[in-house]
Amino acid sequence: MRRTLLDFKTLTLTALTIGLMTACSSDDTDTSTETETETEAGTEDETRWITVAGAQMGDEPGDGNGGTLIYSVTSEEAKDPSVSISPFENGFTAPSNRTARLQSSEDGSTIFNISYAGDTGGTYTKYLVEGGQTFTQSGTEVSIEPYVGTAPRWIKLFDGDKTGAAVYVSTENEIDDNGTEDDASDDTYIRTNATIGVVTLDLENSLINNFQEHSVALTDEEEALGYYISRIDMPVLNEAGDKLYIGARLSKLDPTTTESDSDYEILGSKTIVLDYPSLLNPSVITSTVGYGNTNGYRSINAFLYDGSVYQANQSDPSGSHILKIDADNEYDDSYIFNLDDALGVEGAYILAWRPAANGKAVIAYRHDGSEEGVAGAQGFFALADLNTKTATRIDAIPYNADFYLFQYQGFVVDGNEIYVTEAPVGENGNIYVIDTETGEVTKGAELVNAEGSHFIGTF
Amino acid sequence: MRYIIFVITLLFFNIIHSQTGLISGTVVLEDDSPVINAHIKVLGTNRSAISDFDGKFEIDKLQYNTYELSISTIEADNKKVSINIDKEYNTIIIRLSKKMNQLSEVVINGKSIETEKETSGYAVNVIKTKEASLRNIQTNDLLNTTVGVKIRQNGGLGSEVNYSLNGLSGSSIKIFIDGIPSSVYGSSFSLNSIPPSMIKNIEVYKGVVPGHLSDDALGGAINVVLHKGSKDFFNAAVSYGSFNTIQASVNGLYHFDKSGFTIKTSLFNNYSDNNYKVSGRAIVVTGLGGVQTPITARRFNDVYRSTGGMAQIGYTNVSWADQFFIGVTASDDYKEVQHGAFMTIRPYKDRFLESDALLANLIYQKDDFLTKGLAININGLYGSRNRTVNDTVAAAYSWSGERAIDFKGDEYEYTWGSQQEGGPTLAKIERKVASIRTGLSYKINDHHKFLANHSYSGIDREDSDPLLSLLENTFIGTRDLHKNIYALTYELVTLDQKLRASVFGKYYHQKTISIDPAIAQDENGNSIVVDEVVSSNNKDDGYGFVTSFAIHPKLTLLASAEKAIRLPDETEVFGNDGDNVVANTSIRPEKSNNYNLGFRLGAFNIKKNQFTVSSNFFIRDITDRIGLPIENSLNVDDELIVYVNQGNAKSKGVDAQLNYSYKNNLGLNFNISRFDLTTTTDAGTEIDIPNTPFFTMNGSLRYSLKDVFQENTRLNLFYSLYFTGEFSYLNIPSGVGGADFFKVPEQISQDLGISYAFPDKKTVMSFDVKNIFDKPLYDNLRVQKPGRALYLKINYTINNY
Repeated sequence: MRRTLLDFKTLTLTALTIGLMTACSSDDTDTSTETETETEAGTEDETRWITVAGAQMGDEPGDGNGGTLIYSVTSEEAKDPSVSISPFENGFTAPSNRTARLQSSEDGSTIFNISYAGDTGGTYTKYLVEGGQTFTQSGTEVSIEPYVGTAPRWIKLFDGDKTGAAVYVSTENEIDDNGTEDDASDDTYIRTNATIGVVTLDLENSLINNFQEHSVALTDEEEALGYYISRIDMPVLNEAGDKLYIGARLSKLDPTTTESDSDYEILGSKTIVLDYPSLLNPSVITSTVGYGNTNGYRSINAFLYDGSVYQANQSDPSGSHILKIDADNEYDDSYIFNLDDALGVEGAYILAWRPAANGKAVIAYRHDGSEEGVAGAQGFFALADLNTKTATRIDAIPYNADFYLFQYQGFVVDGNEIYVTEAPVGENGNIYVIDTETGEVTKGAELVNAEGSHFIGTF
Repeated sequence: MRYIIFVITLLFFNIIHSQTGLISGTVVLEDDSPVINAHIKVLGTNRSAISDFDGKFEIDKLQYNTYELSISTIEADNKKVSINIDKEYNTIIIRLSKKMNQLSEVVINGKSIETEKETSGYAVNVIKTKEASLRNIQTNDLLNTTVGVKIRQNGGLGSEVNYSLNGLSGSSIKIFIDGIPSSVYGSSFSLNSIPPSMIKNIEVYKGVVPGHLSDDALGGAINVVLHKGSKDFFNAAVSYGSFNTIQASVNGLYHFDKSGFTIKTSLFNNYSDNNYKVSGRAIVVTGLGGVQTPITARRFNDVYRSTGGMAQIGYTNVSWADQFFIGVTASDDYKEVQHGAFMTIRPYKDRFLESDALLANLIYQKDDFLTKGLAININGLYGSRNRTVNDTVAAAYSWSGERAIDFKGDEYEYTWGSQQEGGPTLAKIERKVASIRTGLSYKINDHHKFLANHSYSGIDREDSDPLLSLLENTFIGTRDLHKNIYALTYELVTLDQKLRASVFGKYYHQKTISIDPAIAQDENGNSIVVDEVVSSNNKDDGYGFVTSFAIHPKLTLLASAEKAIRLPDETEVFGNDGDNVVANTSIRPEKSNNYNLGFRLGAFNIKKNQFTVSSNFFIRDITDRIGLPIENSLNVDDELIVYVNQGNAKSKGVDAQLNYSYKNNLGLNFNISRFDLTTTTDAGTEIDIPNTPFFTMNGSLRYSLKDVFQENTRLNLFYSLYFTGEFSYLNIPSGVGGADFFKVPEQISQDLGISYAFPDKKTVMSFDVKNIFDKPLYDNLRVQKPGRALYLKINYTINNY
């Protein structure tokens, strides 16, 4: 085993060095040559590190506020049901005061972290995965806090682990006082200005690449009704690599009082489009298929496949959709993939998802019929096909009312295989490996849980 | 009635030739504890004195003769002793026996000394401020060295303070100033700004709070008792030290003996640049590309200034009142904010807070009111207080104090347009405040006594922000809070004073009113602004008992328990528009069952050594804790988040204290406090609540020398040691890596001080060195506190001019 570990270390270092220079994403479309490169640069076997992440309970079961713990095993071990993994007993705590938003290199050899909240909130660090609880910090630290605050919403772009992008939005109401400063009765609300900030980060050299801020407008009608962009997240690159798409959440206020509205019509899903890498020329595109937000939660919400970006939406009144943005950087409103219809449920809500290079995806979701567990609605996994717009629940994975996927973050894609974690809050579970091509599900290593804690994925 | 012992000790220093002499005396109880504020009169003359905090007094220029001294005090039976003045310097120790009804007297007058309070049955510490007021010590520093108390302050002088008693903190702990909730005064007149010289003593009630301190104090209360009495005095002090810290105070009282007319004033001014050095993982300057270089930085936006005072006129010791005062309290403070709750790589520049308060006050106190045995005590306050937050600078600054550069090397501004994320603000909160506390007590005889207390406090709050449009300001709601608390207490003293017990019940009634402007149509169909008024009533009750039993003259057992509650605050009831939290008018108060069991051993006298040991074991068992529900996919985009009663917590631990003295020269005090703060899951597992300093120790040593350099002087040397054990921001199980990141390391700090009382007995000079070894001290959330600091202070006091 010791010998193996050394091999892995060599492998990971090699893979890191080469992998970082030669995009080797299985999510990229044009990856066949790079995949080969990786294989050549790699080793005789096709193993990689699988890092399992758990969120420890703070004071309520499932709150995940007690720290994010990670532990790495080889892909063979991950697939072996006789192996037990106990990150809550002997893992490594990611340095983040609140739940860390982790990212891994595409080959699993490096974990990227930006600390969330606290004195180091916004600080980027990377760790070499060396097996077990050993994560060795590498490179220097850099902070994006001055650009996007201590609680940054960031994601790694699929450009060969080169770049991370983080976003921020602040809003301000614009009021016309009609020339009478002391009389509120003739004042009118004009719009709410949303200023977005976008920073890109060189993950290899720990340097800030670029930062831009923009005022982003909705249509005049939408703005007059009080709609505004209140949260943005989940940047993703288009295939050409010349546009960055950023998911958005819309909120609405009551123009007569400027107070928050709660019961209002949900608008078509929107995405902010920026030039890349200049981060200039913002525009907003709107879907006529999906309604609701596109900013996801903690897990990557939009992916490039076959020349288009596929994006999940949330809080859609007719159930989550997977939306398609084509190479022309507009929504393809002829692409209709509604999860309610595909699964035959009501109120499907995509919590996290991930496609493999073959266009088949694993979706973590809940729906209106989900049981209410200890920490919220019960979650399920489905296997979906972006081409046929179909999805089926993966029944080979056991479900339980306390199986909760809201904070779920990580899927490892290894070829056509996708690794997920399954464990109800406070109960043991397993890694499951889904062969997206065949639909075959392999029960992998046992996940040893701790009271009130839950697993949030593989990296 | 016990028999009276008295001892006269005459010490001869040298033979002198003058025709007048001086008496230097000490008034003590049988257990050698000092009697404060005893009135000593030389019969047949017009000379008199009042004993100080150490029971000491002096009367000079007495013709050689034999005199009779009359000693009167509320704590002990009056007594007469004779003394022969036949030399220049005469000393006397007068021992008094305790009064039978002293517990009653304690409660009515709030005038007792620490020993009496500390054996009354409560888990209480009484902190004397006399010595500290002569030194360079902040009121908060004094509290922090008290057993079971932990102060977590977010920086240097004037920064935000959170008080923790036996593990409970935040809004569970109520602070009172003369029995009035300190929230009525606001931050400008608080323990941060009030100098120790204005304070008579500070009472810290842990877990069980007496009926006269009426508030919903879940975990205990700290009551700051300001000077009372009718003794003429004038005191002025000024202190200067590190970080350009200047603190000055003036206090005075003048009493017209014939009419009883009394004038009292206190003034204070505090200023500090707080520009102490900080370093650590977030203290860096960033260069091109965001490359970080660690530095040791001086804080540059942390100035604190507070000014305030109190002026009162009235009558003392007249037939219709023991105390009657009307007066005004005014205060004003300014505090720059260097960073948010955490020290991050982004220091703030030009963000500051200002607050002010202007309040009228009334005090009336009378024993034997209307009938013998009935005592009344009224303390009222009415006025306004305001607070503003000013944060309008968008420019980014670095820890070097200069403009920061961005990744391209250019000076830049923050996207959010202000220093703290959230946008520019000039938010102003205006509050009209009123509070009145009334206490009635009726003593049936020496064994039975009833006390009734009522406290009302009301706050009308209005928020506005000049940076917002009038339209937005119009629709900012207002919140009013009215709290009435009634307490009824029965006290029993029996078994030859060996058993003291009291039981009390408290009734809480809180009315919160939300006034939220909304748009409506008038008869003509025009839109008009109307107020939507929603009110919420919270009623609850609590009860408790307190008992002390002297199983031996040297061993007293103390037990107390209370079912305490904390009423939900206005945000918990009505939510907060800014945070998308909406009203939950059915929210219930937090409840806690608090238990104390302790003992006090001593005082033992072995030759000239005296020591006392006391300890208290405690449990605080909180249910219905109020919090926000965890975020999940159902509520993540919801505007409808409400505060709910969801959690529980338990604190279990022990406090212990040792006092030792040798003659009157050497004093040693050591205390230790340790507790476990846990929450219990549904499955019954106890989980530690992190970010809690659970282990603290404090030690102090005082050595006193007489007649150093000159006669009639006193030199005091002080040494203090503070220890806080390591604790972690998150609970990391042992065996898990990466735990160091979250740890707040063990902290040890040592202070040295020296004070010198000049022969005129009016001037005292003090010099203090804080944190002599310049160790890094952290507080809440790893915010660094000042390193080594030096302070010099001069006090000038005249008694009985």
